[in-house]
Amino acid sequence: MEPAPLASLQEEGEGEPGESPSSAAAAVPPRPATHHSLHKYAPLDWSAYFDEERRVAIPDTEDVFNVYMARSEGPVVFCLHGGGYSGLSFALAASRMKEKARVVSMDLRGHGKSTTSDDSDLSIETLSSDVIAVLRTLYGDSPPAIILVGHSMGGSVAIHVAAKKVIRNLHGLVVIDVVEGTAMASLIHMQKILANRAQHFPSIEKAIEWSVKGGPLRNIDSARVSIPSTLKYDESRECYTYRTPLEETEKYWKGWYEGLSEKFLSCPVQKVLLLAGTDRLDRALTIGQMQGKFQMVVVRHTGHAIQEDVPEEFASHILNFIARNKIGPNGVEIPGLIKKWQH
Amino acid sequence: MPSSHGDLDRQIAQLRECKHLAEGEVRALCEQAKAILMEEWNVQPVRCPVTVCGDIHGQFYDLIELFRIGGEAPDTNYLFMGDYVDRGYYSVETVSLLVALKVRYRDRITILRGNHESRQITQVYGFYDECLRKYGNANVWKYFTDLFDYLPLTALIENQVFCLHGGLSPSLDTLDNIRALDRIQEVPHEGPMCDLLWSDPDDRCGWGISPRGAGYTFGQDIAQQFNHTNGLSLISRAHQLVMEGFNWCQDKNVVTVFSAPNYCYRCGNMAAILEIGENMDQNFLQFDPAPRQIEPDTTRKTPDYFL
Repeated sequence: MEPAPLASLQEEGEGEPGESPSSAAAAVPPRPATHHSLHKYAPLDWSAYFDEERRVAIPDTEDVFNVYMARSEGPVVFCLHGGGYSGLSFALAASRMKEKARVVSMDLRGHGKSTTSDDSDLSIETLSSDVIAVLRTLYGDSPPAIILVGHSMGGSVAIHVAAKKVIRNLHGLVVIDVVEGTAMASLIHMQKILANRAQHFPSIEKAIEWSVKGGPLRNIDSARVSIPSTLKYDESRECYTYRTPLEETEKYWKGWYEGLSEKFLSCPVQKVLLLAGTDRLDRALTIGQMQGKFQMVVVRHTGHAIQEDVPEEFASHILNFIARNKIGPNGVEIPGLIKKWQH
Repeated sequence: MPSSHGDLDRQIAQLRECKHLAEGEVRALCEQAKAILMEEWNVQPVRCPVTVCGDIHGQFYDLIELFRIGGEAPDTNYLFMGDYVDRGYYSVETVSLLVALKVRYRDRITILRGNHESRQITQVYGFYDECLRKYGNANVWKYFTDLFDYLPLTALIENQVFCLHGGLSPSLDTLDNIRALDRIQEVPHEGPMCDLLWSDPDDRCGWGISPRGAGYTFGQDIAQQFNHTNGLSLISRAHQLVMEGFNWCQDKNVVTVFSAPNYCYRCGNMAAILEIGENMDQNFLQFDPAPRQIEPDTTRKTPDYFL
């Protein structure tokens, strides 16, 4: 069963002021009543952060990708989430970024509300092709200026897409907390990390609570928006579990990260690498960074999901990147012209 | 506060053994250094002969190797172009030694400011954490970062070779423009002072937006014009890792010198220093890393990648 729409998962009296109870409530599977103490973990709807949710059907395929969109003008910040997350991972950051840019955040294959002919195929080639297909379907042959932003697995996808040099009007690449050296080193621990996660939740609120108390997130508000879309209801166990069975994707992991540093450095656009908490560069990136080939920002006091944990700071970095590189709605504005500093 | 050269000589000897000074000694040393640096200019004149050095980045044993290759101070005059701290394991000992040498032999050693001689950068790239680890508090970090505000931005060897950490600025056409800057402050995020510490030479002509997120890129035409306008023969700078330790570019208008061999203990690069002789003749000395010491336990746990 697909995850129920978020509004339908809220019980009467829950949620934000002014929200009307959903007529889909009848379709909600029974679950334990929410204790008052869990109110702070109640789900929040995407519509407070994005303006639109769109189903993007890829021509000549069975694939339909769910995208969240905000604002209709300015350069496009196209966001790709990490493995096991969803497009709503960027919700809180989007509400700030949309002041100056369009934001499009996609549910990748096998994640969120996207549906494809093979949800289990998370190979880097397929994921990259999906992103290119969505961009082409949305914008055709004359896209606006695009800045690709990717977190973790999504960062790898963003790099592979940029390196293919097939996206017209691509003007920036922002990669969040993924480095080939440390990612490859961590893969041997990944099954253990996944196995140590809480696997089943009696309610969505409990899943949100776990995500910030023992899971990957540190920001309750972001978890309230993003976590529900990472879950599905398991009829047989009468509980919630993960939408994406990451432990079954192990055969693809190496492909996500192998050769990533050189690929990143070879991308012919302005680049930012955002790292969580500490400087974790491998050899290729250390050399590249010390040769001035990309911007590196170490964001302190955050976990792996920088865009969720510190969305304001994350959004500021993105908007500063756009402004500094003079990226307008259709590309770089007044190229080559740099004004003299006023003495 | 040390009242004699004897105290300083003892401290220098201690530092040469990679043993950091007591907190109170650092405080006194920084006060003395501040008084000296306050007297120096944004464009500090330097006489030849002098040996010009690039980034060190806390690689203390490689600094000792540099002195072994280039000659000990004060027998050899030195000009360091910044980035003494961060990334390496021994930023405290490295910057302490260089500052102590500056105080002891003020006319024999010139130390410029690099982009890492900054409060914001050092909080991220290691110096701050190292100070906490070695002293148990942030006082020493504060003494040094307050001192960094006083470091000269550039140096001029015999009115011919212009030395600085990063590169040129679209806001600064002349050395007099640089002399007019108010340098006693934290490195700003943008503007001419920032550019001097962050900019890089580039193969493309003109000014460009730097991929680093600060400063600019400048082409051969810019460097040539700057040198012509200011009567210079060469711009010597650091800031970029070059695998051979030094690299000529922009038709020999610019040279990059990088003095941290096997940078970050992983890059496999050579280091170099530039000897400028009594007749302004130039000679590069390349060197490999010093034998590895037992490094402090600064290992980090493998990150919990949730893919």
